[in-house]
Amino acid sequence: MEACALSVIVLAVTAVSWALRPDRLPLSADPTFYKLELDAPLIATKQAVALYDAGTHLFVDTRPGPIGATPTIPGSVPIRQDSFDDDLLDLFDFITPEDPLILFGDGNLSLASSIAARLKARGYVDLEILSGGLEAWRAAGAPLTGESGP
Amino acid sequence: MMRWVGFGCRLVTGGIFLFACLDKLQKPGAFAAAIDHYHLVPYALLHPMAHGLPILELIVGLALVFGVLRRGAAMLAAVLTVIFIVAIASALVRGLDISCGCFHTDGGHAVGITLLLRDFGLLVLCLPPLFFRDAGPELSHLRKMAAGSNG
Repeated sequence: MEACALSVIVLAVTAVSWALRPDRLPLSADPTFYKLELDAPLIATKQAVALYDAGTHLFVDTRPGPIGATPTIPGSVPIRQDSFDDDLLDLFDFITPEDPLILFGDGNLSLASSIAARLKARGYVDLEILSGGLEAWRAAGAPLTGESGP
Repeated sequence: MMRWVGFGCRLVTGGIFLFACLDKLQKPGAFAAAIDHYHLVPYALLHPMAHGLPILELIVGLALVFGVLRRGAAMLAAVLTVIFIVAIASALVRGLDISCGCFHTDGGHAVGITLLLRDFGLLVLCLPPLFFRDAGPELSHLRKMAAGSNG
C-alpha cells in the first residue's frame, strides 16, 4: 500500500517535472540517435561459432596489447588499432581482400568498428563484427587458446 | 539495538539513492544513453525511464532518510536494486563493455563482478528498514509526539 502511494507520487512528480523542464527529452526516443553506426554488420556468437567450425572465415583479434598475452580464438590473427599497418603487412601473404573476416574484441564495438572501417578503406569487403566480443565467445563455450574445452 | 541497525541501514540506503539521482536529474539525455547501452529497454520507454528513474530514486531516498512511508520506500528500493542486479548480470553474460550509469552518467564504474557484489550489499541494506517493526526515528513518530504534547 505504501509502495503504491509512493509510486503514484513518483508518477505525478515525473509528469510535472517533464512538463516544466526546458531541456526535456521527447517522450519517444528516436532509435537512430542511439544506434551506433557500425562499419560492418554484427554477427551473433552462435552463427560465428558455426562458421569457425566450418573453417570458412578468418577471425581477427582487434584487442589492444601484446599478442598472446591473453587467451584468444585459436587461429585468429591480430590487427590492432595502434599497429594497424604493421599487422596488416604481416598478413599480406595470408589474406586477400576477398577473404571473409570476423572481427572481435573485448565487446568494445566502436574499436572493432573503427578497424573495420580501416580494412574497408584497404579494399576488404566481407567484414563482420562478433557481437559481445570474446566474452560472449567464452560464454558460449567456444574454444580459446590456453583454455581446455568444456 | 535492532532499532538503530534499522535506522543506520535506512540512512545509508537513502543516502545512496539520493546521491545516485543527482547527476541523472541534471543530465537526462546522458542517462538515457547510459540506459540504452544495456540494450534492455525498448526505445518507446527509454526517455520516460530516463526522466522517471532519477525521480523514483530521489523520492525513495528522501522517504528512507526522513522515515516517511518507510516500508514502502524500502520495498521500492529493494525492487529497484534487484532490477539493477538483473541488468548488470545480463550485461556481464552478454559481454557488454559498458559503464554502469549508477552514479555518474559519463564514465563511472564499468559493469563487472565488483559492481554486482556492491548491489547485493545494497539489497541487504534495504532489508532491515523493510522488515523491522521499528527502524529508528521517523517523521510520523515526531508528529505523534507533538500531538501528544499538545493534547
